[in-house]
Amino acid sequence: MIWTVIFTSVRRLFHNRLELILTFLVPIAFFSIFAVIFGGGQSSSIIPKIKVIAVDEATNADSAKIIESLRECPSLRFVRDRDDEAVSRSAASEMVRRGIATMAIVLHGENNRINADLLADASDQVAGQVVTALLSRAMAMSLHDRDPNNLPDSHHMIAPPSPIPTVPTVTVLDIMGENKTNPVVSMYAAGIAVMFLLFGATGGGGALLEERESQTLDRLLSTRLTMDQLLVGKWFYLSGVGIVQVTLMFVWGQIVFGVDLLSHMDGFLMMTVVTSSAAAGFGLCLATLCKSRGQLNGLSLIVVLAMSALGGSMVPRYVMSENLREAGLWTFNAWALDGYDKVFWRELPVSELWPQLTVLLLSGAIFLVIARILAVRWECD
Amino acid sequence: MEIHELCKSFGDLTALANVTFTLGAGERLALLGPNGAGKTTLIRCLSGRTRPDSGSIHVEGAPISLAGVRDMLGLVPQEIAVYRDLTTRENLSAFGRFYGLRRRELRDRIDWALQWTGLQDRAGELVGTFSGGMKRRVNLACGVMHSPSVLLLDEPTVGVDPQSRERIFSMLDELNSDGTSILLTTHHLDEAQARTDRIVIVDKGRVVAKGTFSQLVDETIGRSRMVTLRIDRPLAAPLPNLTSTTSRDSTMGICGEQSIQLRIDDVASQLPSLITTVHDFGYGIADVQVDSPSLHHVFLHLTGRELRD
Repeated sequence: MIWTVIFTSVRRLFHNRLELILTFLVPIAFFSIFAVIFGGGQSSSIIPKIKVIAVDEATNADSAKIIESLRECPSLRFVRDRDDEAVSRSAASEMVRRGIATMAIVLHGENNRINADLLADASDQVAGQVVTALLSRAMAMSLHDRDPNNLPDSHHMIAPPSPIPTVPTVTVLDIMGENKTNPVVSMYAAGIAVMFLLFGATGGGGALLEERESQTLDRLLSTRLTMDQLLVGKWFYLSGVGIVQVTLMFVWGQIVFGVDLLSHMDGFLMMTVVTSSAAAGFGLCLATLCKSRGQLNGLSLIVVLAMSALGGSMVPRYVMSENLREAGLWTFNAWALDGYDKVFWRELPVSELWPQLTVLLLSGAIFLVIARILAVRWECD
Repeated sequence: MEIHELCKSFGDLTALANVTFTLGAGERLALLGPNGAGKTTLIRCLSGRTRPDSGSIHVEGAPISLAGVRDMLGLVPQEIAVYRDLTTRENLSAFGRFYGLRRRELRDRIDWALQWTGLQDRAGELVGTFSGGMKRRVNLACGVMHSPSVLLLDEPTVGVDPQSRERIFSMLDELNSDGTSILLTTHHLDEAQARTDRIVIVDKGRVVAKGTFSQLVDETIGRSRMVTLRIDRPLAAPLPNLTSTTSRDSTMGICGEQSIQLRIDDVASQLPSLITTVHDFGYGIADVQVDSPSLHHVFLHLTGRELRD
């Protein structure tokens, strides 16, 4: 009897190809995605580089030497590196705020002593520590080159004690989250919200397949209702549900975790309306692509999880390599998260949201058009 | 409704081949056929859900493709094509709205439909919680919210108990008496025989017979009755058939069998002599069964006994 149960279950599994794929291939696929994100793929040399910008306020030989030394670090990538014009502290700060650079290294000196300020985007919790370490080392080396007695080394261990070295200081200034009550939570809220928005939209789109399977679609289309009206109606409904879903999540975030929703209401509403409508289009597109609800469940699980992994809903994109970050831009999540990031984290004016809003609006429209084209086959045999 | 030389193929499969018939005003017509005969394709063509390759469909003289003509049709699919997670009233309201009903007219039709289906006291309950028969009644009601002049039903009584079937046909009779023409497909041949005015039998996409039940009987198996006599012991040898007028049926019964079967044209005059003959040969009669021609016999005569799926 037990053997028959096992045998029957195995036979059923092999008859259901989608379930077979979900059971064995999807874990491998997701393992591969996360291996590429965290392990840099097969080659560990492909590590994510931290985008930095240097501001030399000291303008002396030592500061130039420190910057030159940092340029040789493989884990740093200097932005605006080719510009002849020097970047000011405020300009560098603005670049960090806009996400052009993750960190600005500002070298300033008084009385021949160089200190450094790191204008940091604290959302990248790894970058701050890495750059601080690299900068400290570069400054120490510079100090050592200028006055070998100023740093302890093996030779100095047996030499007579020298005057107390003037150790350079590196001060990390969080220019993004300094005034926020709970700065990082808003980013995670956006990540989770967008992922569940996609799950919700694909699940809602599945109602169309249920209607088709139960012949309710036949009945609906035999009334005065047209396929255009049906799809647009469902699109509005799914968009509305998505807007309420995300709003509730951020309201909860404000009440419990201190996310500052009220101060960012304009940007939040713009992003949420556009993201929800695009997700609704995506859900309908995926639904019309499938033949059955079961197929949709399998496909949406794969697509939404893959997009969420690559797009930054599960893992912050700053830990990804350059190539993966670029690949992430093909996902829905990356654009939506960049938009929410601009609203809640970078606190940019809503006019700065135009790239994200444009991409999401366009993709939503394209998804809806594809859904309409695919639904033609259900209209009339 | 006039259907003229309707043809539809799916790839190499011919679903409909020159199907022609009419459904008169206020008429009840049964569309019969084995599985895969083309009934559902025909219903889908008539409801505008499938585009025929050629041929024409006219309702009250207007082609079905003309705007507004489809409003004269009501469709009741084979599946329970309603929202199971809505209440009866919500389903009726939704489909009424899809058919263009609004405000008072909609309210009146919902009240009528609840009374018609006998579900007034279940109006606020989810359809998903209903029995099969109740779901079928809601399914039916959603197709007639707009008072169509022609109602198309694809197996409206499949999977329901005799009581529910009776109720559904009473509902259809009520609609029909108000002037609605009814075209239904069914595998319940007794229902088709008893509850419809005319019958169209399709097989392999073609109309193989159409007419009233009497016409079909006359055109196929004739009016003779099948008589079965169960005797008290196996037949030792075939008996002479004194009721036959032809030499071909000069004997009756098969050696070794304990029953005798034959057709007779006049039960009143021929059955007594038949019983006498059996007695005269020393056999006792345990039971006598007389079967009048049924649609079942006509159907099998026209479509054969081979399995179709």
